[in-house]
Amino acid sequence: MSEAGLTSLAVDLPEPGNAPGIEDLARTLGVRKINVVTEEILRDGHGALATSVTRAAAAAIIRNPWSGSVVSTDLAPHTERIAPVLAKILTDRLTAVLGGTGEIEAFGKSAVVGLNGEMEHAAALIHTPYFGNLVREFLDGTSILCFSDDRAEPGASIAVPMWHKTAASTRSHYQTITLNVSDAPHPDEIVVVAAASTGPRPHPRIGDRTTDRPVTAEILEEILP
Amino acid sequence: MNIRKIVTLSEEILTEGGRPVEPAARVAIAVAVIDNPWAGQGFVEDLSQGIDATASDLGKLLTPKVIEALGAPVEAYGKAAIVGIEGEIEHGSALIHTLKFGDHYRKAASATTLLPAVEKRAPAGTVFDIPMKHITDATIRSHHQSVEVRIADAPHAGEILIALAASAQGRPQERLAPLTTEQ
Repeated sequence: MSEAGLTSLAVDLPEPGNAPGIEDLARTLGVRKINVVTEEILRDGHGALATSVTRAAAAAIIRNPWSGSVVSTDLAPHTERIAPVLAKILTDRLTAVLGGTGEIEAFGKSAVVGLNGEMEHAAALIHTPYFGNLVREFLDGTSILCFSDDRAEPGASIAVPMWHKTAASTRSHYQTITLNVSDAPHPDEIVVVAAASTGPRPHPRIGDRTTDRPVTAEILEEILP
Repeated sequence: MNIRKIVTLSEEILTEGGRPVEPAARVAIAVAVIDNPWAGQGFVEDLSQGIDATASDLGKLLTPKVIEALGAPVEAYGKAAIVGIEGEIEHGSALIHTLKFGDHYRKAASATTLLPAVEKRAPAGTVFDIPMKHITDATIRSHHQSVEVRIADAPHAGEILIALAASAQGRPQERLAPLTTEQ
Protein backbone atom coordinates (compact mmCIF):
# COMPACT_ATOMS: atom_id res chain seq x y z
CA MET A 1 0.00 0.00 0.00
CA SER A 2 1.18 3.53 -0.70
CA GLU A 3 2.34 5.97 1.95
CA ALA A 4 -0.83 7.96 1.35
CA GLY A 5 -2.84 4.83 2.11
CA LEU A 6 -0.96 4.35 5.35
CA THR A 7 -1.57 7.92 6.44
CA SER A 8 -5.28 7.64 5.78
CA LEU A 9 -5.48 4.80 8.32
CA ALA A 10 -4.00 6.82 11.16
CA VAL A 11 -6.65 7.03 13.88
CA ASP A 12 -6.92 7.83 17.55
CA LEU A 13 -8.21 4.87 19.52
CA PRO A 14 -11.09 5.50 21.93
CA GLU A 15 -10.63 4.60 25.58
CA PRO A 16 -11.51 0.97 26.30
CA GLY A 17 -14.97 0.67 27.80
CA ASN A 18 -16.01 4.00 26.36
CA ALA A 19 -16.06 3.58 22.66
CA PRO A 20 -18.57 5.77 20.87
CA GLY A 21 -18.50 5.14 17.17
CA ILE A 22 -16.05 2.27 17.25
CA GLU A 23 -18.04 0.52 14.53
CA ASP A 24 -17.47 3.59 12.35
CA LEU A 25 -13.79 3.35 13.14
CA ALA A 26 -13.83 -0.36 12.28
CA ARG A 27 -15.52 0.44 8.97
CA THR A 28 -12.84 3.01 8.23
CA LEU A 29 -10.18 0.39 8.92
CA GLY A 30 -11.77 -1.93 6.35
CA VAL A 31 -14.15 -4.10 8.39
CA ARG A 32 -16.90 -5.40 6.11
CA LYS A 33 -18.89 -7.54 8.53
CA ILE A 34 -18.95 -8.70 12.14
CA ASN A 35 -20.38 -12.17 12.71
CA VAL A 36 -21.19 -13.70 16.07
CA VAL A 37 -22.11 -17.30 16.83
CA THR A 38 -23.23 -18.68 20.18
CA GLU A 39 -23.76 -22.31 21.05
CA GLU A 40 -25.56 -23.29 24.24
CA ILE A 41 -24.95 -26.96 24.89
CA LEU A 42 -27.66 -28.68 26.92
CA ARG A 43 -26.85 -32.30 26.19
CA ASP A 44 -23.99 -34.31 24.70
CA GLY A 45 -23.83 -38.01 24.05
CA HIS A 46 -26.61 -39.66 26.03
CA GLY A 47 -26.56 -37.32 28.99
CA ALA A 48 -27.90 -33.87 29.80
CA LEU A 49 -25.47 -31.36 31.31
CA ALA A 50 -26.17 -30.39 34.90
CA THR A 51 -25.27 -26.83 33.90
CA SER A 52 -25.41 -25.80 30.27
CA VAL A 53 -22.26 -24.37 28.72
CA THR A 54 -22.31 -21.57 26.18
CA ARG A 55 -19.51 -20.98 23.73
CA ALA A 56 -19.28 -17.98 21.45
CA ALA A 57 -17.09 -16.73 18.65
CA ALA A 58 -17.00 -13.22 17.23
CA ALA A 59 -15.45 -12.71 13.81
CA ALA A 60 -14.48 -9.52 12.01
CA ILE A 61 -14.10 -9.69 8.25
CA ILE A 62 -11.55 -7.08 7.29
CA ARG A 63 -9.84 -5.98 4.12
CA ASN A 64 -6.25 -7.28 4.07
CA PRO A 65 -4.26 -4.04 4.41
CA TRP A 66 -1.16 -5.74 2.98
CA SER A 67 -2.76 -7.39 -0.04
CA GLY A 68 -0.38 -7.17 -2.98
CA SER A 69 2.53 -5.95 -0.86
CA VAL A 70 6.01 -7.47 -1.04
CA VAL A 71 7.20 -9.88 1.64
CA SER A 72 9.67 -7.34 3.04
CA THR A 73 6.80 -4.99 3.96
CA ASP A 74 6.87 -3.86 7.60
CA LEU A 75 3.59 -5.13 9.07
CA ALA A 76 3.81 -3.13 12.30
CA PRO A 77 2.16 0.18 11.29
CA HIS A 78 -1.15 -1.36 10.18
CA THR A 79 -1.06 -3.97 12.93
CA GLU A 80 -0.74 -1.33 15.63
CA ARG A 81 -3.74 0.61 14.29
CA ILE A 82 -6.05 -2.25 13.35
CA ALA A 83 -5.50 -5.05 15.87
CA PRO A 84 -6.54 -3.07 19.00
CA VAL A 85 -9.82 -2.04 17.36
CA LEU A 86 -10.54 -5.65 16.38
CA ALA A 87 -9.78 -6.79 19.95
CA LYS A 88 -12.28 -4.24 21.27
CA ILE A 89 -15.17 -4.88 18.88
CA LEU A 90 -14.82 -8.66 19.14
CA THR A 91 -14.54 -8.87 22.93
CA ASP A 92 -17.44 -6.40 23.31
CA ARG A 93 -19.60 -8.87 21.42
CA LEU A 94 -18.35 -11.89 23.36
CA THR A 95 -19.07 -10.29 26.73
CA ALA A 96 -22.48 -9.11 25.50
CA VAL A 97 -23.65 -12.56 24.41
CA LEU A 98 -22.04 -14.49 27.30
CA GLY A 99 -23.25 -12.25 30.12
CA GLY A 100 -20.05 -10.41 31.01
CA THR A 101 -16.39 -11.24 31.62
CA GLY A 102 -17.28 -12.87 34.93
CA GLU A 103 -19.11 -15.64 33.08
CA ILE A 104 -16.18 -16.40 30.78
CA GLU A 105 -13.84 -19.25 31.79
CA ALA A 106 -11.99 -20.07 28.56
CA PHE A 107 -10.81 -18.15 25.51
CA GLY A 108 -9.01 -18.45 22.17
CA LYS A 109 -8.40 -16.71 18.85
CA SER A 110 -8.01 -17.38 15.16
CA ALA A 111 -7.17 -15.66 11.89
CA VAL A 112 -7.87 -16.91 8.37
CA VAL A 113 -6.33 -15.00 5.48
CA GLY A 114 -7.82 -15.03 1.98
CA LEU A 115 -5.98 -16.72 -0.86
CA ASN A 116 -4.17 -13.59 -2.07
CA GLY A 117 -2.58 -12.97 1.32
CA GLU A 118 0.37 -14.32 3.28
CA MET A 119 0.02 -16.48 6.37
CA GLU A 120 2.09 -13.77 8.02
CA HIS A 121 -0.74 -11.29 7.41
CA ALA A 122 -3.11 -13.44 9.47
CA ALA A 123 -0.44 -13.85 12.14
CA ALA A 124 0.15 -10.10 12.30
CA LEU A 125 -3.42 -9.35 13.36
CA ILE A 126 -3.62 -11.89 16.21
CA HIS A 127 -0.09 -12.78 17.38
CA THR A 128 1.08 -9.44 18.73
CA PRO A 129 0.26 -7.64 21.98
CA TYR A 130 -1.86 -5.21 19.97
CA PHE A 131 -4.49 -7.96 19.75
CA GLY A 132 -3.62 -10.60 22.34
CA ASN A 133 -2.94 -8.34 25.30
CA LEU A 134 -6.16 -6.46 24.74
CA VAL A 135 -8.30 -9.58 24.34
CA ARG A 136 -6.78 -10.93 27.56
CA GLU A 137 -7.40 -7.64 29.38
CA PHE A 138 -10.98 -7.19 28.12
CA LEU A 139 -11.90 -10.79 29.02
CA ASP A 140 -10.12 -10.53 32.40
CA GLY A 141 -7.72 -13.41 31.77
CA THR A 142 -4.07 -14.07 32.43
CA SER A 143 -3.27 -17.07 30.23
CA ILE A 144 -1.56 -16.89 26.89
CA LEU A 145 -4.24 -17.22 24.19
CA CYS A 146 -4.33 -20.45 22.22
CA PHE A 147 -5.00 -20.03 18.53
CA SER A 148 -5.41 -21.36 15.01
CA ASP A 149 -4.46 -19.70 11.76
CA ASP A 150 -5.13 -20.66 8.19
CA ARG A 151 -5.46 -19.50 4.60
CA ALA A 152 -8.70 -20.51 2.95
CA GLU A 153 -11.49 -19.99 0.46
CA PRO A 154 -14.65 -18.11 1.51
CA GLY A 155 -16.96 -20.24 3.65
CA ALA A 156 -14.17 -22.38 5.06
CA SER A 157 -14.77 -24.06 8.38
CA ILE A 158 -12.81 -22.24 11.11
CA ALA A 159 -12.03 -24.21 14.27
CA VAL A 160 -11.07 -21.91 17.14
CA PRO A 161 -9.35 -23.62 20.07
CA MET A 162 -9.87 -22.39 23.61
CA TRP A 163 -8.40 -23.11 27.01
CA HIS A 164 -8.84 -21.77 30.54
CA LYS A 165 -8.30 -18.02 30.70
CA THR A 166 -6.33 -18.05 33.95
CA ALA A 167 -5.04 -21.65 34.16
CA ALA A 168 -4.15 -22.80 30.66
CA SER A 169 -3.29 -26.36 31.67
CA THR A 170 -6.77 -27.04 33.07
CA ARG A 171 -7.60 -30.05 30.92
CA SER A 172 -11.39 -29.85 31.30
CA HIS A 173 -11.40 -26.52 29.47
CA TYR A 174 -9.59 -27.63 26.30
CA GLN A 175 -12.32 -27.16 23.71
CA THR A 176 -13.05 -25.81 20.25
CA ILE A 177 -15.83 -23.84 18.59
CA THR A 178 -16.35 -24.19 14.87
CA LEU A 179 -17.81 -21.48 12.68
CA ASN A 180 -17.88 -20.40 9.09
CA VAL A 181 -18.77 -17.17 7.34
CA SER A 182 -20.47 -17.95 4.05
CA ASP A 183 -18.76 -15.32 1.89
CA ALA A 184 -15.48 -14.70 3.73
CA PRO A 185 -12.59 -14.36 3.50
CA HIS A 186 -12.51 -12.91 -0.01
CA PRO A 187 -9.04 -13.36 -1.54
CA ASP A 188 -8.10 -9.89 -0.25
CA GLU A 189 -9.68 -10.21 3.21
CA ILE A 190 -8.77 -11.63 6.62
CA VAL A 191 -11.21 -13.17 9.13
CA VAL A 192 -10.12 -12.41 12.69
CA VAL A 193 -11.87 -14.34 15.49
CA ALA A 194 -12.00 -14.13 19.27
CA ALA A 195 -13.80 -16.94 21.11
CA ALA A 196 -14.85 -17.67 24.66
CA SER A 197 -16.71 -20.27 26.70
CA THR A 198 -18.61 -20.16 29.99
CA GLY A 199 -17.36 -23.55 31.12
CA PRO A 200 -15.62 -26.82 30.32
CA ARG A 201 -16.34 -29.44 27.68
CA PRO A 202 -19.57 -31.37 28.13
CA HIS A 203 -19.01 -34.23 30.61
CA PRO A 204 -15.26 -33.66 31.19
CA ARG A 205 -13.76 -36.81 32.71
CA ILE A 206 -10.23 -37.35 31.44
CA GLY A 207 -8.47 -36.34 34.63
CA ASP A 208 -5.88 -33.64 34.94
CA ARG A 209 -2.16 -33.23 35.50
CA THR A 210 -2.72 -33.73 39.20
CA THR A 211 -4.32 -37.15 38.67
CA ASP A 212 -2.07 -38.50 35.88
CA ARG A 213 0.51 -41.14 36.68
CA PRO A 214 3.89 -40.64 34.97
CA VAL A 215 3.47 -41.65 31.31
CA THR A 216 6.45 -42.36 29.04
CA ALA A 217 7.09 -44.50 25.97
CA GLU A 218 7.44 -47.46 28.34
CA ILE A 219 3.63 -47.50 28.49
CA LEU A 220 3.72 -49.30 25.14
CA GLU A 221 5.32 -52.30 26.84
CA GLU A 222 2.20 -52.71 28.97
CA ILE A 223 -0.09 -52.42 25.96
CA LEU A 224 1.76 -54.46 23.35
CA PRO A 225 1.08 -58.23 23.57
CA MET B 1 -38.83 -31.97 23.42
CA ASN B 2 -35.25 -33.08 23.86
CA ILE B 3 -32.87 -30.23 22.97
CA ARG B 4 -29.16 -30.90 22.39
CA LYS B 5 -28.10 -27.35 21.75
CA ILE B 6 -29.26 -23.87 20.88
CA VAL B 7 -27.22 -21.83 18.42
CA THR B 8 -27.56 -18.15 17.59
CA LEU B 9 -25.85 -16.34 14.75
CA SER B 10 -25.74 -12.65 14.04
CA GLU B 11 -24.23 -10.62 11.26
CA GLU B 12 -23.57 -6.88 11.14
CA ILE B 13 -22.80 -5.66 7.65
CA LEU B 14 -20.73 -2.46 7.74
CA THR B 15 -19.91 -2.22 4.05
CA GLU B 16 -21.31 -3.83 0.90
CA GLY B 17 -20.22 -3.38 -2.67
CA GLY B 18 -17.34 -1.28 -1.40
CA ARG B 19 -19.66 1.33 0.08
CA PRO B 20 -20.57 1.98 3.71
CA VAL B 21 -23.84 0.60 5.09
CA GLU B 22 -25.06 3.06 7.74
CA PRO B 23 -26.37 2.06 10.11
CA ALA B 24 -24.89 -1.41 9.86
CA ALA B 25 -27.36 -3.96 8.46
CA ARG B 26 -28.28 -6.64 10.99
CA VAL B 27 -29.37 -10.22 10.41
CA ALA B 28 -29.80 -12.95 13.05
CA ILE B 29 -30.73 -16.61 13.29
CA ALA B 30 -31.71 -18.80 16.24
CA VAL B 31 -31.44 -22.57 15.89
CA ALA B 32 -32.57 -25.44 18.10
CA VAL B 33 -31.17 -28.92 17.53
CA ILE B 34 -33.66 -31.47 18.87
CA ASP B 35 -34.32 -35.19 18.75
CA ASN B 36 -36.72 -36.04 15.92
CA PRO B 37 -39.97 -36.70 17.88
CA TRP B 38 -40.83 -39.51 15.43
CA ALA B 39 -37.40 -41.16 15.32
CA GLY B 40 -37.49 -44.96 15.31
CA GLN B 41 -41.27 -45.19 14.96
CA GLY B 42 -41.45 -46.18 11.29
CA PHE B 43 -44.02 -44.38 9.13
CA VAL B 44 -46.27 -42.44 11.49
CA GLU B 45 -49.58 -41.69 9.79
CA ASP B 46 -50.85 -39.07 12.21
CA LEU B 47 -48.21 -36.52 13.17
CA SER B 48 -50.51 -34.39 15.33
CA GLN B 49 -49.37 -35.81 18.67
CA GLY B 50 -45.71 -34.95 18.00
CA ILE B 51 -46.70 -31.55 16.64
CA ASP B 52 -48.74 -30.76 19.75
CA ALA B 53 -45.90 -31.87 22.00
CA THR B 54 -43.21 -29.87 20.24
CA ALA B 55 -44.15 -27.15 17.74
CA SER B 56 -45.50 -24.51 20.11
CA ASP B 57 -42.66 -25.00 22.60
CA LEU B 58 -40.12 -24.58 19.78
CA GLY B 59 -41.74 -21.36 18.58
CA LYS B 60 -41.81 -20.06 22.14
CA LEU B 61 -38.15 -20.97 22.68
CA LEU B 62 -36.70 -19.58 19.46
CA THR B 63 -38.69 -16.34 19.18
CA PRO B 64 -36.99 -14.41 22.00
CA LYS B 65 -33.61 -15.86 21.02
CA VAL B 66 -33.75 -14.54 17.46
CA ILE B 67 -35.17 -11.17 18.48
CA GLU B 68 -32.50 -10.73 21.15
CA ALA B 69 -29.73 -11.77 18.74
CA LEU B 70 -30.99 -9.24 16.19
CA GLY B 71 -31.05 -6.41 18.73
CA ALA B 72 -33.37 -4.32 16.58
CA PRO B 73 -36.98 -4.39 15.34
CA VAL B 74 -37.64 -7.24 12.91
CA GLU B 75 -38.53 -6.10 9.37
CA ALA B 76 -38.09 -9.37 7.47
CA TYR B 77 -38.24 -12.97 8.63
CA GLY B 78 -38.09 -16.62 7.68
CA LYS B 79 -37.75 -20.15 9.09
CA ALA B 80 -36.10 -23.50 8.43
CA ALA B 81 -36.39 -27.20 9.22
CA ILE B 82 -33.48 -29.48 8.39
CA VAL B 83 -34.18 -33.13 9.08
CA GLY B 84 -31.43 -35.65 9.82
CA ILE B 85 -31.09 -38.38 7.24
CA GLU B 86 -33.10 -41.03 9.12
CA GLY B 87 -36.19 -38.80 9.23
CA GLU B 88 -38.77 -37.61 6.72
CA ILE B 89 -38.86 -34.08 5.38
CA GLU B 90 -42.50 -34.20 6.50
CA HIS B 91 -41.26 -34.37 10.10
CA GLY B 92 -39.53 -31.02 9.72
CA SER B 93 -42.49 -29.54 7.90
CA ALA B 94 -44.76 -30.75 10.70
CA LEU B 95 -42.81 -28.76 13.27
CA ILE B 96 -42.70 -25.45 11.37
CA HIS B 97 -45.77 -25.39 9.12
CA THR B 98 -48.45 -24.96 11.76
CA LEU B 99 -49.68 -21.77 13.36
CA LYS B 100 -48.70 -23.30 16.71
CA PHE B 101 -45.06 -22.71 15.74
CA GLY B 102 -45.15 -19.50 13.74
CA ASP B 103 -47.67 -17.48 15.73
CA HIS B 104 -45.24 -16.92 18.62
CA TYR B 105 -42.84 -15.18 16.24
CA ARG B 106 -45.55 -13.32 14.29
CA LYS B 107 -47.04 -11.94 17.49
CA ALA B 108 -43.69 -10.90 19.00
CA ALA B 109 -42.59 -9.19 15.78
CA SER B 110 -46.02 -7.57 15.14
CA ALA B 111 -46.00 -9.44 11.85
CA THR B 112 -48.86 -10.55 9.63
CA THR B 113 -47.41 -12.46 6.67
CA LEU B 114 -46.60 -16.14 6.40
CA LEU B 115 -43.01 -17.04 7.16
CA PRO B 116 -40.99 -18.06 4.09
CA ALA B 117 -39.31 -21.40 4.72
CA VAL B 118 -36.71 -23.91 3.67
CA GLU B 119 -37.06 -27.61 4.42
CA LYS B 120 -34.62 -30.34 3.54
CA ARG B 121 -33.12 -33.61 4.69
CA ALA B 122 -29.36 -33.51 5.02
CA PRO B 123 -26.33 -34.68 6.99
CA ALA B 124 -24.66 -32.71 9.77
CA GLY B 125 -22.80 -29.66 8.54
CA THR B 126 -25.09 -29.11 5.59
CA VAL B 127 -25.29 -25.58 4.26
CA PHE B 128 -28.79 -24.15 3.96
CA ASP B 129 -30.18 -20.74 3.12
CA ILE B 130 -33.17 -19.27 4.95
CA PRO B 131 -35.32 -17.02 2.76
CA MET B 132 -36.76 -13.91 4.37
CA LYS B 133 -39.53 -11.54 3.32
CA HIS B 134 -41.12 -8.44 4.83
CA ILE B 135 -43.16 -9.15 7.98
CA THR B 136 -46.33 -7.34 6.88
CA ASP B 137 -46.16 -7.26 3.09
CA ALA B 138 -44.44 -10.10 1.26
CA THR B 139 -44.39 -8.07 -1.97
CA ILE B 140 -41.93 -5.46 -0.64
CA ARG B 141 -39.05 -6.20 -2.96
CA SER B 142 -36.33 -4.45 -0.94
CA HIS B 143 -36.75 -7.02 1.83
CA HIS B 144 -36.42 -10.21 -0.25
CA GLN B 145 -33.19 -11.71 1.09
CA SER B 146 -31.57 -14.91 2.34
CA VAL B 147 -29.08 -15.84 5.00
CA GLU B 148 -26.79 -18.84 5.00
CA VAL B 149 -26.46 -21.20 7.96
CA ARG B 150 -24.19 -24.14 8.70
CA ILE B 151 -23.99 -25.98 12.01
CA ALA B 152 -20.91 -28.19 11.89
CA ASP B 153 -22.30 -31.11 13.92
CA ALA B 154 -26.04 -30.96 13.28
CA PRO B 155 -28.43 -32.47 12.47
CA HIS B 156 -27.43 -35.98 13.49
CA ALA B 157 -29.35 -38.69 11.62
CA GLY B 158 -32.07 -38.83 14.28
CA GLU B 159 -32.29 -35.09 14.91
CA ILE B 160 -34.10 -32.10 13.44
CA LEU B 161 -32.66 -28.61 13.25
CA ILE B 162 -35.30 -25.87 13.52
CA ALA B 163 -34.43 -22.21 12.89
CA LEU B 164 -35.92 -18.73 12.85
CA ALA B 165 -34.24 -15.90 10.93
CA ALA B 166 -34.68 -12.14 11.23
CA SER B 167 -33.43 -9.09 9.40
CA ALA B 168 -33.67 -5.53 10.70
CA GLN B 169 -33.82 -4.01 7.22
CA GLY B 170 -33.88 -4.78 3.53
CA ARG B 171 -30.83 -5.87 1.59
CA PRO B 172 -27.71 -3.75 2.07
CA GLN B 173 -27.49 -1.29 -0.87
CA GLU B 174 -30.93 -2.39 -2.09
CA ARG B 175 -31.81 -0.34 -5.15
CA LEU B 176 -34.35 -2.26 -7.22
CA ALA B 177 -37.51 -0.54 -8.39
CA PRO B 178 -40.54 -1.68 -6.36
CA LEU B 179 -42.98 -4.23 -7.74
CA THR B 180 -45.58 -1.48 -8.32
CA THR B 181 -43.41 0.06 -11.03
CA GLU B 182 -44.01 -3.03 -13.16
CA GLN B 183 -47.75 -3.30 -12.63
